[in-house]
Amino acid sequence: MSFNSLPFLLFFVAVFTLYWFAFREKTKAQNAFLLIASWFFYGYASLKMLPLLIGATAVFYGLGIWMKHCRSEKGASWIGTLGVVLGVGLLLAFKYLNFFIESFAALFQAMGLQTNWHTFNIILPLGLSFITFKLISYVLEIRRGKIEAETDFVAFAAYIAFFPCLLSGPIDRPQFLGQLHKTRVFDYDTAAEGMRQFLWGLAKKVLIADRCVYVIDPVWENIGEASGSSLLMAALLYTFQMYTDFSGYSDMAIGTGKLLGFRIAKNFNYPFFATNVAEYWRRWHMSLTSWLTDYVFMPLNVRFRDWGKFGMILAIVINMVLVGLWHGANWTFGAFGLYHGLLFIPLILSGAFAKKHKLKAGRLGLPKLSDLGGMVLTFLLVTVGLVIFRADSVGQAWQFLSGMAHLETLKGFYLFFLHPDFRTKTVLIIVLMVLEWRNRTVEFPLVPLKAYHWAVRYAIYLALVCLLVMLWDKNLTFLYIDF
Amino acid sequence: MQNEALLEQVQEIFRDVLDDEEIVLQETSTAEDVEGWDSLTHIQLIVAIEKHFKIKFTSKEILSWKNVGELVDCLAAKLA
Repeated sequence: MSFNSLPFLLFFVAVFTLYWFAFREKTKAQNAFLLIASWFFYGYASLKMLPLLIGATAVFYGLGIWMKHCRSEKGASWIGTLGVVLGVGLLLAFKYLNFFIESFAALFQAMGLQTNWHTFNIILPLGLSFITFKLISYVLEIRRGKIEAETDFVAFAAYIAFFPCLLSGPIDRPQFLGQLHKTRVFDYDTAAEGMRQFLWGLAKKVLIADRCVYVIDPVWENIGEASGSSLLMAALLYTFQMYTDFSGYSDMAIGTGKLLGFRIAKNFNYPFFATNVAEYWRRWHMSLTSWLTDYVFMPLNVRFRDWGKFGMILAIVINMVLVGLWHGANWTFGAFGLYHGLLFIPLILSGAFAKKHKLKAGRLGLPKLSDLGGMVLTFLLVTVGLVIFRADSVGQAWQFLSGMAHLETLKGFYLFFLHPDFRTKTVLIIVLMVLEWRNRTVEFPLVPLKAYHWAVRYAIYLALVCLLVMLWDKNLTFLYIDF
Repeated sequence: MQNEALLEQVQEIFRDVLDDEEIVLQETSTAEDVEGWDSLTHIQLIVAIEKHFKIKFTSKEILSWKNVGELVDCLAAKLA
């Protein structure tokens, strides 16, 4: 049940109505209803895996209670470790087992040893990477003394399975449980903002991300034949596709959350206005990077703190490789992470990594030239990274990148902007960037609409909805559903 | 040393490391309230505090602080 599908629309209208009318201001009943709706949502997508979701929820709930009743601090700490091992074990078993088997078999073969190991027929449960990260952070936050173990199973299970974030995040921290215990009163302004954010996310998805698929995919299917300039165009467009798809999804998730009276973690903060890679990672898939920052980078950095900049580099490289591998079991994801880790090194050595750069507009309200240079460079570096990310193998990524790297590439490149296949996309992307730049201090570019005259506002909504219905492609789901 | 005096010294270290003379710390301050205090500069702040007071925090202590007050409490306990 993808957010951009009719079943979801029907499902959500039913949930919204019952949630606010039948169970109004009855917090416990609302939570129970949310839990049932969320489990239904998951079962609808993958009934076979529903028992796994429920089972994992029950086990981690039990671990929390066990930690709470544990008399010694050391004991509680051990139970926390057990939780981490279980969570990581779940991920390893479903996501990485075949990869290990294949890699070791290949290694032994290279050493001249024959193996007859078999890989397993494993289906990756939907949303597993997101769910396990929630479960792990729950036991870690208890162990760090930042939260109390949750005693209300329904609230805990509703947090883990919260349907707007279930399949592809954002990854909310257990502090979210606080919102489940509060009485939620329907607030028109919050709900309207949620609608606007959902609409904005859907617009990015339908108008840009889904339009790009049909020009990018053919290039990837035939890298050997493609000219350097079409490779470059496909690479640049993919960066925009990935952004509009995943940030579009995130806006829709956050908007859905607001419609139900919840504040969900922010996932994107206009990443293309980052002037270096460190800043980029503070603005891209923020709920994942902040998770890894708290539980991987910080502990490593604390441990390596006496090694100066070298310690920080080591911590960041390990952290970024994990960011990459979190996406799946393929060397390309590891290479993607390593590449980004290495990009941090000059920033750490020069001290530029930590300076939060305040963007100020120059003349005509445009970015200052020095900032713009940083933005373009960062964007190009990110684009190279996403080629590695998208490729089936490191070899294919290399083929793609080396196919781009000659002078001919630039010669044919400008012609693309005039080609009918690209013209509209280029215009839409420019419109997107201008809207984002003008609204970079608010959560999403449609926020200012609330101050408009109602007639103008509704005319914009109507035009946007008509456009979306016309161009909506029901065959396309979200890219991050695979992770 | 009183916690207030410690807080003042810690504030001085923050101003120095983050290169911002306008930082004013309170016991309830968190990284959200102080500009430039993020996961990357955090470690520089810790190292500077450890050097200044000639003490060593454990990893567990560092990761458990919720605000500046808890950092200062932990510091006071070490110096006592």
